[in-house]
Amino acid sequence: MVRRPMKRSTLPGILLACCMLTATIGDAGAQSATPGGMPPPQGMSLAASTAMRFPQPVRVGDLLGRDVLRPVESQDILGHIRRVVRDQNGEILIVVDFGGFFGFGSRPIAVPADAMVVLGADTEIVAFTPDQLRQFPTFSPTGTTNVTDDTIIKMGLAKPSH
Amino acid sequence: MDQVKDKPIAAPPPIATPGRRLHPLPIRVMHWINAATMLVMITSGWGIYDDDVIIRGFHFSSFWRLGDWAAWSLNWHFAGMWFLVINGLAYLIYGFVTGRFREKLLPIRFKDLVNTIVETLHFKIAHDDLTVYNAVQKLLYIIVIFAGIAQVVTGLAIWKPVQFSGLVSLLGGFQTARVLHFLGMAIIVGFLIVHVALALLVPRTLWAMLSGGPRLARNSQSNQAHPAQGHTI
Amino acid sequence: MKSPFRPDVVPDKSVLDDHRPLIRSLERRGLIRGGLSLGSLVMLTGCDVKRPEAVEAALLAFSRLNDGVQALLFDPNKLAPTYPASMILRPPKFNAYYDVMDVKPVNAETWRLELSGLIADKRAWTLSQLQALPQTSMVIKHICVEGWSYIGGWTGIQFRTFLEHVGADLRAKYVAFKTADDYPSSIDMATALHPQTLLALQYGGETLADPFGFPVRLRMSTKLGYKNPKWVTAIEVTNTYPGGFWEEKGFPWFAGL
Repeated sequence: MVRRPMKRSTLPGILLACCMLTATIGDAGAQSATPGGMPPPQGMSLAASTAMRFPQPVRVGDLLGRDVLRPVESQDILGHIRRVVRDQNGEILIVVDFGGFFGFGSRPIAVPADAMVVLGADTEIVAFTPDQLRQFPTFSPTGTTNVTDDTIIKMGLAKPSH
Repeated sequence: MDQVKDKPIAAPPPIATPGRRLHPLPIRVMHWINAATMLVMITSGWGIYDDDVIIRGFHFSSFWRLGDWAAWSLNWHFAGMWFLVINGLAYLIYGFVTGRFREKLLPIRFKDLVNTIVETLHFKIAHDDLTVYNAVQKLLYIIVIFAGIAQVVTGLAIWKPVQFSGLVSLLGGFQTARVLHFLGMAIIVGFLIVHVALALLVPRTLWAMLSGGPRLARNSQSNQAHPAQGHTI
Repeated sequence: MKSPFRPDVVPDKSVLDDHRPLIRSLERRGLIRGGLSLGSLVMLTGCDVKRPEAVEAALLAFSRLNDGVQALLFDPNKLAPTYPASMILRPPKFNAYYDVMDVKPVNAETWRLELSGLIADKRAWTLSQLQALPQTSMVIKHICVEGWSYIGGWTGIQFRTFLEHVGADLRAKYVAFKTADDYPSSIDMATALHPQTLLALQYGGETLADPFGFPVRLRMSTKLGYKNPKWVTAIEVTNTYPGGFWEEKGFPWFAGL
C-alpha cells in the first residue's frame, strides 16, 4: 500500500483559508445605519428626537441586563444595561457596561435615556456612534441617584435594524 | 524473501471485473442535485439570517447571500426545500434498499477511527482504493446525513411553529429551534469545506463522482479485510 | 452624522413626492446609502440584472405552491400556545415599513371601520360600538418573518363573532384590510374564523398605543407578524385575491405559523 504524504503546507493552508473565509463572509465594519434607529437630525435636541419616537412607558427593572445594540444589520452588542440613575438636573441616564470583549474590559458609561430606544427586549443607542461612545467618561455615581426598579420611565421606539 | 517478511502485506488491487461502479448513476445524479440544492439552501439561508442575526455582531455580507433581500432569500429557500427533501428522501431510500449505506458506511470501529485521525495528522492520506471509505470518512458522511435530516426537522419547526408546536417544544422553543437550525448549517458548511478541499486535492474522487469511478471488487466486503484503507475525504 | 437619506445632490421635491411609496420601500431595504448601488439602480428602472424574469416567475410559482400546502397544513382547531400574563413584553416591539417617527396617529372621534364586499350589514362602526361588543384576551407569541419573536397580550373582539354579527359570507375565500398607513393586507377565510384571530383594541390590558395600531388592529396567532395590519380602517369580504403590501414585493401570502 503506497501512501503519499500530503505536502506539509497543505493542511495548515486549508485551515488558514477557512479562517480567512469566515473573516470575509462577515464584514461588521462596512455597514451603514439602517432605516431603523437613525440618529437625531442635525441640531435637534435629544429630548425632541425622543418625542418624535412615540415614547412608551417602560419599567426600569425590566431594562436591567438588557443588550444595548448598535443600529446596524449586524446588531453589534455595544454593552449591557447595568443600572438607571437620575443626575442633578433630573435627567435619566442609563449606565451601560460598554465595550470590552465578552464582558471583559468593559467600563460603565452614562448614556442619556433620550439617546436610546427600546426595541422589544433590547435597546439601541441611536444618538451616538461607537467612536463617540468611546470618548464618554467612565461613569461615576457622585451626584446621581439610583432609580428604583419599579419606576416607569419613557423611552422612544425604533423599528428593527436589518 | 526477507523483503516479504519486512514489508506489510499490500492489499490486492481492486479486481477489474465488470461489476458495479463505486458511484452508480443514481448516486451521482442525486449527489450533484444535492450539491446544487445545498448551496441554494445555505446561501439563501444566510440571506434570511441577516434579517435578524442570531449571533449579534455577525452577519453575512451581500456577496455571500442568495436573494438580493429577505423576500427573495425566503423564496429561494422555500423553493429549494422541495428539491432538498425529495432528492434527500430518494437518496435515503436508495441507500437503505440497495444496501449501500450498510456496505460503505458501516461498521465504524473506534480503533479504526483513532488510527485514521492519527494518520491524517501525520499527513498520511492513502489514495489508492477509492472504493473503500476509511473510518473518518464513514463517520463524517453519517454526521452530514444526520445534519441534513436535522435541518429539515428544525426547518419545519421554524416554518410552522403553531401547526408543529409539539415539535417546537421538543426542540426547546422557537428561538432555540432557530439556533439549532443555524448550528446544523454550520456543521454542513464545515463538512463542505473539508469535503470539497479534499476532493480537489484528490481529483480522482471528483472524477469518480462524475464518471462512476472504479468498479468494485466482486467480493465487496473488502472493508472487513482492510479496515484502515481508503482515502480521507 | 449625515443621514444617508440626504444625498449630496437633492432631486427635485416633486419627483420625491410622486415616488414616495417606492422610495419608502427602497429606504426600508436600506438601499439608499452614500451612493446608489447597482441593485437599487436597476430596481429604480424596473428590471434587475441579478434576478431575471424567468427565475423570479419560477420562485413565485413555488411560493404559490407553498401557499396551497400551507392551507392544507392549517388546522382550524389547533390553538397556538398561550402564556401567563406576567410574560407580556411591555412595550411590545415596534415594526412597520417606515420608522416610528412616521406613524400617523388616528383620530378616534372621526375614525370609522368601513365594511364592504360580501357582508350583509355594511354600516360603518365607531370605536365605542366596537368596545361595546364582548371582548376576549389572549397571550400569544408574535413571530416576525425577520426571525424575532416576543410574547404579547391582546384583547379584542373575536373576529369570527364580528363577521357573523355583520352577516359576512363565511364561505368567501378572502378577508381584506385597509389601514391608515397604506398597508393593505388580506387573509384566508379559514384563518379569519380561527378562535385566536381578534380585532384587537387593547395590548396588555390597556388601550392600544398609537405606534401599535390604535384604535384597532388585526391580531392572529397563526400568521407571521406582517399579516397583522395596524390602524385598520376598512374590511372587505371577497372572492377576488386582494394581495397585500409585502406580497407585492415578493413575500409569501399565506404566511402561516
